[in-house]
Amino acid sequence: MTGNDWLIMLHVASAFLFVGGSVAAGILNWLAIRSERPSETAALLRLIRVLLPVIYVGVLGTLVFGIWLWHRLGFGIGTGWLWAAVVLWLAANALGGIGGRHQERSRELAERLAGEGDAPSAELRALLTDRTGLAVSYAAGAATLAILVLMIWKP
Amino acid sequence: MTLLAFSRPFWPLFLHVLGAMLLYGAVIAALVVAATGRARATLTSLIVAVPCFVLLRVFAQIILNDENYAKDPTWVGIGFMASDLGLLILLVSIGVAFWWTRSGKAVAGRIAAGLSAVYLVLLTVAMLAMSGKWG
Repeated sequence: MTGNDWLIMLHVASAFLFVGGSVAAGILNWLAIRSERPSETAALLRLIRVLLPVIYVGVLGTLVFGIWLWHRLGFGIGTGWLWAAVVLWLAANALGGIGGRHQERSRELAERLAGEGDAPSAELRALLTDRTGLAVSYAAGAATLAILVLMIWKP
Repeated sequence: MTLLAFSRPFWPLFLHVLGAMLLYGAVIAALVVAATGRARATLTSLIVAVPCFVLLRVFAQIILNDENYAKDPTWVGIGFMASDLGLLILLVSIGVAFWWTRSGKAVAGRIAAGLSAVYLVLLTVAMLAMSGKWG
């Protein structure tokens, strides 16, 4: 394997950690929305924290190895699709962070309700299915998908 | 020309990689919930993995047919081995997770978590082999 092969492998592995971790977090969030008892909702949302190191390693790796490959493969500084990918990477992370804070608020409410009788709550359901919160998470997913399109299309 | 380039070689690879990434995420979720003793969530996560596997496998075959590799390189062999053995592990995991939801036996949960971990390792090796073009 050449140096470039190693870099591509590490870049792709980072992308799998980034996207795989985010997808797993999305599945846990979806399972939390479907849960009836606040204690179960809180437990599933707490599990998303376990995935954060995986996502962070992927986020950092995609950028570091991506910029390294940008230089090694001889793409110019003005290569538009690579700049577009960087902008989308920033957008995906910013939106993911906002979505994460929304999940944290839901988890805190679920934990409080779990300690107060653990009965199903309309307030918790409304927070979990809040359109703005969900839209931000979907937008983060769309930005990540757009990066994947650019990386494979290489326009 | 741009549209033509976007339409033919792009879609099979894009959908293959997308399926692989979604499958990776579903198996990570299954491992996390199985390891923390959630039978129904494990079964749901593993069922979510099935359409992701189909996306990965169907477009892997389409790429292989289109690209017409002369002498199957090692990384292609590793990919197909991981895919076919992985399907077996996935189906057995779903069966065990279903048994877990019905019986509530802790041993079923441990087996489901173990199989999910093995599948995750297998997918990681395949991903590294295919992206690094081993052999």
